[in-house]
Amino acid sequence: MGSSGLLTSLIDGILIGVVYGLAAMGLTLIWGVMNVINLSHGTIIAFGMFGVYLIFTTLGLNPYLTLVLVAILGLLLGVAIYFIAIQRVIDAPHLSTLLATFAVNMILLGVGTAVFTTNFRNVDYALGNIQMGQITVLGTRLVAALAAVFVAGALYFFLYKTRPGKYIRAVANNRAAAELMGIPSTQILALSFGIGTMLAAIAGGLIATLFPFTILSGGVYELKSFVIGVLGGLGNPIGSLAGGLILGLLESIIPIVMPNTWVPILEFVLFIIILLIRPTGIFGAKE
Amino acid sequence: MAILEVREVDSGYGEVQILWGASMALQQGDLTSLVGGNGVGKTTLLRTVMGLNHPWKGSIWFEGKDVSRLSAHKKADLGLVLVPEGRQLFTDMTVYENLEMGASNKRARGKFQQNLERVFEMFPRLKERSDQQSGTLSGGEQQMLAVARGIMADPKVLMIDELSLGLAPVLVLQLFESLKLLKNLGLTILLVEQNVQMALAVSNYGYVLAEGRTELEGPARELIQNEHVRAAYLGL
Repeated sequence: MGSSGLLTSLIDGILIGVVYGLAAMGLTLIWGVMNVINLSHGTIIAFGMFGVYLIFTTLGLNPYLTLVLVAILGLLLGVAIYFIAIQRVIDAPHLSTLLATFAVNMILLGVGTAVFTTNFRNVDYALGNIQMGQITVLGTRLVAALAAVFVAGALYFFLYKTRPGKYIRAVANNRAAAELMGIPSTQILALSFGIGTMLAAIAGGLIATLFPFTILSGGVYELKSFVIGVLGGLGNPIGSLAGGLILGLLESIIPIVMPNTWVPILEFVLFIIILLIRPTGIFGAKE
Repeated sequence: MAILEVREVDSGYGEVQILWGASMALQQGDLTSLVGGNGVGKTTLLRTVMGLNHPWKGSIWFEGKDVSRLSAHKKADLGLVLVPEGRQLFTDMTVYENLEMGASNKRARGKFQQNLERVFEMFPRLKERSDQQSGTLSGGEQQMLAVARGIMADPKVLMIDELSLGLAPVLVLQLFESLKLLKNLGLTILLVEQNVQMALAVSNYGYVLAEGRTELEGPARELIQNEHVRAAYLGL
């Protein structure tokens, strides 16, 4: 492979990695705010894919416009999941919340499989190629990566510059103190879960413009999200972007030197190593 | 009429009962001290007043209304504010953000600038450290911030759990000075304090809690003279 080929796959890795990072962001946000591992994360990513697919194929809307609708639906779905399944067990041991989100996952996945079957779908939409010297970049990949960076930036702005965002950080930091200051912590937790779900749905929607998918495709991204979460520090949404970048680069470099099948093996070896030597993640916060 | 009244409250944690018919009444504009040994239920009483623990029996009245069943954030909205034991700051957030979070309720939001100027005047150190992460402040500064955050909530009744615990004497004096200042501004204050002598010295009224109920109450200057109080809590 020539140097331009290497450069092309590196750039591809970066672009995909940023989208992976966005996919992980919802998972790490929910963990960071309420210490809940959301096992329905992957299926919600798949719902995001189908959301974009269905609106695109039935209404013919531009897939990037449909993302706005998918985001709103994702937010509402997340808030509903919180009040139905999470709120009652939020103070229980981790196993209870794990089982609750697992049950939600089985329900969503069951409904999804019944309605959509497990056949492959494809959002038939292209933006052509962008040629820079000898390097070729797919337009949809570039736009997906830019959208992911934009959403990450918007999340950062929301968490650090707006009142509800600061409430989320306050509740994450010390829920009892937040209550004492007059912050309605239950509503804030529901909002956080909604935003986490929304981010997963948006990520799914962007991925749907890149690859064919089935209702089961979310699982892969959920696993990647765990690796990214550990790389970037669980509970650190901005670290997710960096973690996603690393994962994307690994996926573009590893196949150059060894068969593609080694990618997940090396990813999870990395996952275990980081858990062993730095459990809070490479970019993780102290504690 | 008392602004805050606790009537015969039972409360505790899980199966463990801590309060056994505790009663208390705070008069508008008073600085009231709540004293007593370790583990007699002072913190539990404050938590129950705030709604962090629920009263099993009895009731809590604020400005003539039964607020026994309200959650903590609703009570904060009404003007009942607790500076909790151990400060409980938002340690990952800056000093300024902590103050902003203090002013979360609707009433306080409208008076944000006014209250901010007041706390910066009271604790100039906090103004200097405005952009610093609160978790990196010294113990004394953290306690100042905890009190300041409480003031930002624009309380009608400010309850402070262990103002001076673990602080250097000079800081303790400074915090008690600011307490007097708040009292002179007309704020109703309930102080839980292990430094009984100092607490009673600045208070109008006092309650002695023992075994989960009110053992003794009276004007602070009378309690200081009380033989039992002197022997049990003042080491005299």
